[in-house]
Amino acid sequence: MTALASPSPREVLRAWARSGAQSGAEALANLLAQRQRSALALLGILIGAASIVAMLTIGHMAQRETLKLFAHMGVDMLQIHANPVGPFPATMDRATIEALPRTDPDIEAAVPLAVDRAKVAIGPASQDAGIIAVAPNLPDLVRLSPADGRLFASADDGSLVAVLGAGAAAALSTPGAPAGPGSRVRIRGYVFTVIGVLAPVAFTAMDPTDYNTAVLVPLGDAARIMATPEPSTALLRLRPGADAKAVGERLVVRLANPTSAPQALSAQELIQSLNAQKAIHSRLLTAIGAISLLVGGIGVMNVMMMGVMERRREIGLRAALGATPRDIQAMFLIEAGVLALMGGVVGLAFGLLAAFVAARTSGWTFSLSIYVLPLGPGLAAAVGVIFGFYPALRASRLDPIVALRDE
Amino acid sequence: MFKLRRRAQDGRVLEVLDLTKTYGPPDQATPVLRGVTFKVEAGSFCAVVGPSGSGKSTLMNIIGLLDRPTSGALRLDGLDVAFGDRAREARFRGATIGFVFQSFNLLPRLSAWENVALPLVYAGAAAREREQSALAMLERVGLSHRAQARPAEMSGGQRQRVALARALIRQPRLILADEPTGSLDSVTAGEVMTLLRDLNQRLGVTVLMVTHDKDLAARCARRIEMLDGRVVADTGATA
Repeated sequence: MTALASPSPREVLRAWARSGAQSGAEALANLLAQRQRSALALLGILIGAASIVAMLTIGHMAQRETLKLFAHMGVDMLQIHANPVGPFPATMDRATIEALPRTDPDIEAAVPLAVDRAKVAIGPASQDAGIIAVAPNLPDLVRLSPADGRLFASADDGSLVAVLGAGAAAALSTPGAPAGPGSRVRIRGYVFTVIGVLAPVAFTAMDPTDYNTAVLVPLGDAARIMATPEPSTALLRLRPGADAKAVGERLVVRLANPTSAPQALSAQELIQSLNAQKAIHSRLLTAIGAISLLVGGIGVMNVMMMGVMERRREIGLRAALGATPRDIQAMFLIEAGVLALMGGVVGLAFGLLAAFVAARTSGWTFSLSIYVLPLGPGLAAAVGVIFGFYPALRASRLDPIVALRDE
Repeated sequence: MFKLRRRAQDGRVLEVLDLTKTYGPPDQATPVLRGVTFKVEAGSFCAVVGPSGSGKSTLMNIIGLLDRPTSGALRLDGLDVAFGDRAREARFRGATIGFVFQSFNLLPRLSAWENVALPLVYAGAAAREREQSALAMLERVGLSHRAQARPAEMSGGQRQRVALARALIRQPRLILADEPTGSLDSVTAGEVMTLLRDLNQRLGVTVLMVTHDKDLAARCARRIEMLDGRVVADTGATA
């Protein structure tokens, strides 16, 4: 008893080393001997480890996907959108927006744009498409690249040229006559010359409309084909270190006019809200994982308790052969740890599978952070050792005489 | 409690001095041992006989450091073993005493050699060393051809020989055998006894054997007879 009350750390280590030498393989053999019961106990550990692995992996992928969303425009974007306050369409002053990089110290680039929908046609092919009338400096701000031809230059403003989104170009193509540079596109009675086609680009939360299905024209031509040719949206790039929220509040006031109440949307805030959403999911999965591990731990404790009761004779024998209480304790702790570790390894596989399925269904690319590989099984083994402690203590306190006498 | 290990100068491996053991609460204590005293010379072969309830098993448990006496002294290998510390008792027991049980007590999941090697785990021996020693010891008891067999695949006599090899693997000073032939037929029992005597003579290990069998007891050089917690006859008693 005194040995249990005051073990020196060295003694504990030695007992562990001694038992560990044999018990790794032996623990496995002992556990296999009670396969069914072990399997049931493992279920909880398995689910726990799986949900924690899935949570971490999905979180990791979501993080990457979120950043990818902003890949073609960067996380330093700010969008000001004019909401109507009365019966008239909401607009903002183009000149004021274009002057912002010079008048506001936090703004590096500003692009005013107007959005509309119209029927567009090339030859016999026609399509209802989004029309984005935009200042020619759009490429400064949004990382768009031409798959064919070129994008707008400042000289193009007002010269009846158009750039087609990748999807719009495909929809307006006819066999033998692909829509591309040189094609003539009719929009509300005006004929625009196509100068370029955009490479496909992901639609992100910060885009005024999907660039892929849209036809882009210079803002100077908006007056010919749009009812309200004044910009309704401003895309802004902030200078490094600028506080998106403060700048947004400032510009909302500055760009307000009797027709519109501007509203600011920043990439930073968007990411924050996405992260907040993700945190809720993470917390849920963590809770499921923790509860499952707890249940699994209790299962492990139960299996170990039954094992201790059934193997009283063996415990007595080992004591007679020179096993100290600490050796006995180490033996059962290692068994509990190995049992839970097996659950953790299987759980890791299931967790990764779940994350893979989640990635597939949401169209993400599967990727995993290397640290979940040891974390899932490690956590499980730790739970096993923690919940194995009480049965192991019970085993080590068995009176060898009583244990040996047991039939 | 210093660790000075004094070898018995007079060659006594075991000295039991006025051991008593009572069970139960003080007001209704049941005495099991009422003052047992004897000494066993190193290398001797000694039978402990007596009817059930005479205190033989309790005595053996106390000598094997599995139980503690209520009073009295116990010296093993010249050392007073009133350690009062289970871990220390276990280590001393493992190094000094080998046990042989009536029901063999082999672990069914382990092969013969693994069973034999079990005590070496608690001596901190390396895996290779354990296997080599166990195989060598199995050869000594004539079972090297059964090294990989599980206990269930062996006959009773073979199992008890495996158990004997296990008891001897750490070269103990004392073997405590509790009815070692109790589960065997008379022919096999005779074989196991012959082996036990042979090991006693060749290795010089002291054997203390509890038995009910009068014939077996008669073949032992010394018999200690117990009744009601006392030694009533001792053929080797030397004042």
